[in-house]
Amino acid sequence: MMTALQLAQTGAGATFLQTLVKALALGSVYVLIALGFVIVFKATQVLNFAAGAIAMAGAMFMSILISDGGIPLLPFDNPLAPAEGEAASIPMWGVHVLIALVFAALFGLVLERVAIRPMVGQPLFAMAVVTLGIEVAVRPFNLDATALESRNLGVPWKAETWELAGAIVPKSYVAAVVLAAIGSTAVLLFFRSRLGVAMRAVAFDQEAAMAQGINVGRVFAIAWGLGAALAALGAITYGMAPFPPGGNVSQEIHPILAFRVLPVIVLGGLDSIAGAIVGGVMIASAEIFAGQYLSQYNDTLGSGYSTIVPYLVMLVVLVVRPFGIFGTPEIRRV
Amino acid sequence: MRRLKLLLAVLFALSMFAASCGDDETDTADDSSSDSGDSGDSGDSGDSGDSGDSGDDVVFDYGVDGDSKVIRVGLNADLSGPFASLVTEIVAAQEVYWEAFNEAGGYKGWTVEPVVIDSGYATDVGIQNYQEFAQESDEGVLMITENTGSPITAAIAEDAADDNMLVIPLSWASLWPDPEFGATILEKQTTYCIESMNGVSWLAEQVEADGDTPKLAIIGRPGEYGEDGSAGASLAAEALGIEIVYDGTSAVAGDDRTAVVAELVGSGANIVWVTLTPGELADVFGNAVGQGLDAYWSGNSPSFNYLVHLGGDLAEQFDQYYWQSYYQAPWATPGIEKMETLVEEMTTRRPDLNISDVYTTGWIEGIMTETLIRAAIDGGDLTRANMVALATSGLEVDFGGLSAPQSWPNDYNSAVVRSSWIYDVDAEAFNIIPMSEYSADNTGSTGMIPVEQDYVADFVAEATFDGPCIEPAS
Repeated sequence: MMTALQLAQTGAGATFLQTLVKALALGSVYVLIALGFVIVFKATQVLNFAAGAIAMAGAMFMSILISDGGIPLLPFDNPLAPAEGEAASIPMWGVHVLIALVFAALFGLVLERVAIRPMVGQPLFAMAVVTLGIEVAVRPFNLDATALESRNLGVPWKAETWELAGAIVPKSYVAAVVLAAIGSTAVLLFFRSRLGVAMRAVAFDQEAAMAQGINVGRVFAIAWGLGAALAALGAITYGMAPFPPGGNVSQEIHPILAFRVLPVIVLGGLDSIAGAIVGGVMIASAEIFAGQYLSQYNDTLGSGYSTIVPYLVMLVVLVVRPFGIFGTPEIRRV
Repeated sequence: MRRLKLLLAVLFALSMFAASCGDDETDTADDSSSDSGDSGDSGDSGDSGDSGDSGDDVVFDYGVDGDSKVIRVGLNADLSGPFASLVTEIVAAQEVYWEAFNEAGGYKGWTVEPVVIDSGYATDVGIQNYQEFAQESDEGVLMITENTGSPITAAIAEDAADDNMLVIPLSWASLWPDPEFGATILEKQTTYCIESMNGVSWLAEQVEADGDTPKLAIIGRPGEYGEDGSAGASLAAEALGIEIVYDGTSAVAGDDRTAVVAELVGSGANIVWVTLTPGELADVFGNAVGQGLDAYWSGNSPSFNYLVHLGGDLAEQFDQYYWQSYYQAPWATPGIEKMETLVEEMTTRRPDLNISDVYTTGWIEGIMTETLIRAAIDGGDLTRANMVALATSGLEVDFGGLSAPQSWPNDYNSAVVRSSWIYDVDAEAFNIIPMSEYSADNTGSTGMIPVEQDYVADFVAEATFDGPCIEPAS
């Protein structure tokens, strides 16, 4: 462990590197959740306000699998769970993440079938309000589930760090970047698949897509499933220490995570995969670098000023390009 | 666990049902025979309003059923908001307290019926709940034995004084002992401000024992809780001549704390005093310690939460650097008779719940209320006005070692409690078990090991306190 004296000797380069890694890590979380928003929007033209609650539910599925040794939604034990008191190996933890994402995707499919599908053909505003309703309905159950017990995510490396050129780099931050890279690559590959092309066709013109034999309902469902899985991956990633939840699903922090991503999708463009990736990194970098390098002006700028930075960036972009950096100009409805 | 799975499986059906439900109300009264135990001092009787008579020369007005000899008390509790995890357990403990009291015969045949209404920590809902409790009829309550949070307490303080309604707040703001502000607010235990003074003093002793000079960083959130705690730390630094190398009073606002961590890490502090939420603490602590800050950490309760912090991936770091400050005995502290009773009653009556430190809080609320009720019955006057008169008469409540004894005279300096507790955080001992598994050999542990019981800093013992450390929010 470094002492304060050693810290004082830490150079500006090391501080910059630490800040950069933190920005990339937070950016990775933003990218994952923003991709979830974008996929749902591309397919359905609806901004999914339930993303936060779905993300937290996905993180809970992970906790149920790995910490409780259970299976979400089913009364069975998880045969792959590590023995009580033991941590999972990294590969096995990865397997659990994948299983949790499958459950999150199923959850998304169910939500789509029950609450969204009946709204097809209704005004988009009404559908957006339904997603708000889902958020309101799911959140109390998330809170109840995290209320009286800690819900650990079983991260194998806990809060361990590496030292790199004098900078202290949390392993979780590197893992966040890796997970976001995997998630982004998967999404990009998906959009090159036959199903992804169908989704793009639906996004472009639903009636024309239907006329071409594309099952629009199926596309909607897949979009919701994928969106839920990505949001869940974002929430699991953000649960790793030293991100604020400190290794747990947090009833205090996870519910508001998705709303922090709104500037990202506005900046990048609501329907742009590239926009979600670039926007996530840009917004997180602005937030973290402002926090690190303007901290001595805290009294002047006001407490929590770095939280406002993403919205300032968003405002500037909206003035110049109302449809976002990579967004399609035709988009008008939110 | 199974419950969670089922809940998620039937999410939509239940959510529709939940949306249609109103406030939660609990009724746990039992009628029983009489039993005369210890009695408190009886004070002067005030106006009795629309008085009734129970037939045994006890006059009363609201929240009392003289025929069945049942006293209604109210709990305006956050059961669904940000503090639900803590408050649910505190409420459960107070309910158990009254169950045990009633089953033992109550006092002279009088039993207590706790009425619980959820505030969700929303001030407007809390005010509505208060109005329901304050009804001047049988539907009202004699006093409020639990009121979650500073904002709701502040919002109802004036009305409570007008209504002669005693309120035990789940808040430790230094405002409440001030008769000008909280005339009928019975703050239990010490204040955030004095807790900070004791905590900083104790941490400074540890640094000095290491041969170092204390250098203090203060980190707080905006609002009464954060500002009160931070003010106490500043006052301690002034009294003890400790250099404040970073003053982050109200600095933790918003979702990103990079600026706070940057300033803290660069400050060279070897003492960090925080007044935060558990999530904020995990963020600031995790990043600062992760960047190599080597300091003694502590802070006002509830900055630290063992479920969050020892149940998470920073447990080892909290064990190494953090000392928990609190006001009372943690779960199953040996050598305290009332703790033995608490453990026995809780494990018997709520075996499905996990062990918890905050059951002590519910028990303390119960002891305070019972002492006042006994004194009122002995004096033959269960009116709200007499309850206020008794509470402010100097009547002392002995918590039997669970917490420091306390009285609430109309004098700030005499009313404040000056002691607090310091716990070592022991991640290895941390073992939360359902109370059904509790036994003498398997008590479980919250990982909180008392190292100082009723600690009072020297300058706190000698100080004259003439008012709150902060101004009430307008």
